[in-house]
Amino acid sequence: MEAQIAGAGAIGGGLIQARIDADRRAEEGRLVRLAQSGDLSAFERLYRENERKVFALCLRLSSDAALAEELTQDVFVRAWQKLGSFRGESAFSSWLYPLTVNVALSERRTRRRRTARFFTTDDLTPFDRPPEKPAGGPEAGFDLEKAMAALPPGARAVFVLHDVEGYKHGEIAGLLGMAVGTSKAQLHRARKLLREALES
Amino acid sequence: MTCPEADDRLDDYVDGALGEGEFQEVELHLASCEACREQERRTRSILAQARALPREVAPARDLWAGIAGRIEAGPRARPGWWLPAGLAAAAVLAAGLAVSVLRDGGPGTNAPPGDPPGLAPAAYEEALGGAERDYERAATALMGALQERRDRLSPETIASVERNLEVMDRALAEVRAALERDPGNKELTRMLVSTHRKKVDTLRRVVRLSTPLQGAGDGEEG
Repeated sequence: MEAQIAGAGAIGGGLIQARIDADRRAEEGRLVRLAQSGDLSAFERLYRENERKVFALCLRLSSDAALAEELTQDVFVRAWQKLGSFRGESAFSSWLYPLTVNVALSERRTRRRRTARFFTTDDLTPFDRPPEKPAGGPEAGFDLEKAMAALPPGARAVFVLHDVEGYKHGEIAGLLGMAVGTSKAQLHRARKLLREALES
Repeated sequence: MTCPEADDRLDDYVDGALGEGEFQEVELHLASCEACREQERRTRSILAQARALPREVAPARDLWAGIAGRIEAGPRARPGWWLPAGLAAAAVLAAGLAVSVLRDGGPGTNAPPGDPPGLAPAAYEEALGGAERDYERAATALMGALQERRDRLSPETIASVERNLEVMDRALAEVRAALERDPGNKELTRMLVSTHRKKVDTLRRVVRLSTPLQGAGDGEEG
């Protein structure tokens, strides 16, 4: 009986979650349509919903908190400009995050030509909630965010997208304009360097 | 399996992306190799930490004011309303080219093609080359704008546009080759300029089609 109730509860919980998700998508769709018609306050609500994820991604790709703030602003200005191309067939975030990667990495390419700043700073103070670390052992003091920041940019970008954000190699190849094999090679390099950092 | 071979497959192994045969081979190797087993353990530890990283990080300050300020300072306070400066320039250029570029004797609408009064053959060829370059610049700018808007067009439309452009590019190459064999030929010159104009016009129409809200054209085409 308890198992039946638990099962029913799980199904009921699933339905409620599905309904919440559907409501959220409907509200998001409404905000997108309003924003597409020029309603800036609707766009602000979309910004508030997504700013922390966009900022986290910009921060990990740039390893520079001040630059990540600029990039986040660039992403949303660009999103406003391109909002007409969003057809609402997927979640707004599914459209926004590839745009974020493009903005962050094209900025990286531009800056690489002008200055080394993008890769030489490691102000990671915004990561104020470090991940849980295993108790004791040589890995107890390992700070993955800092180790990631020290990776070469190409390897870091692929590691962030694949192992933190969960993108597939095919998607990364499309986003970064590289072959799938290159994405795999960069990931191999990133993981190898991180293993070495973990060891030291 | 050697250690380097196991290392090559380690990523796919921990990602569950190996086929059954290779998976078994790596398993066997790991069972007998302490060093590789340690690499595997570290990799899994890193991946576990990566997955546990916070997906959301709040910026230290409110960034909205800067975003809103930049949006409001933009050319249109409405998304997707403006065209790139290069496109506007190209559209103006394309609109005026037919009558302006070669009006001093070239094959524009006011001057019969291949009938270059007052121009020596060398000057005529130079004028024609200048017109071609202008058309090509316009086409390049429009192609760039089209690429940016590609996702607003259906695959069928894109395929049709690409087919048309391919036909026009082929025609341009053929006419150019014919003109090299017969410089100054009126009919060929007329065909060359006309094909360039068609290409630019086609691109302009498609870009306009892919630009939401026709207010985008405000002030760009005179």
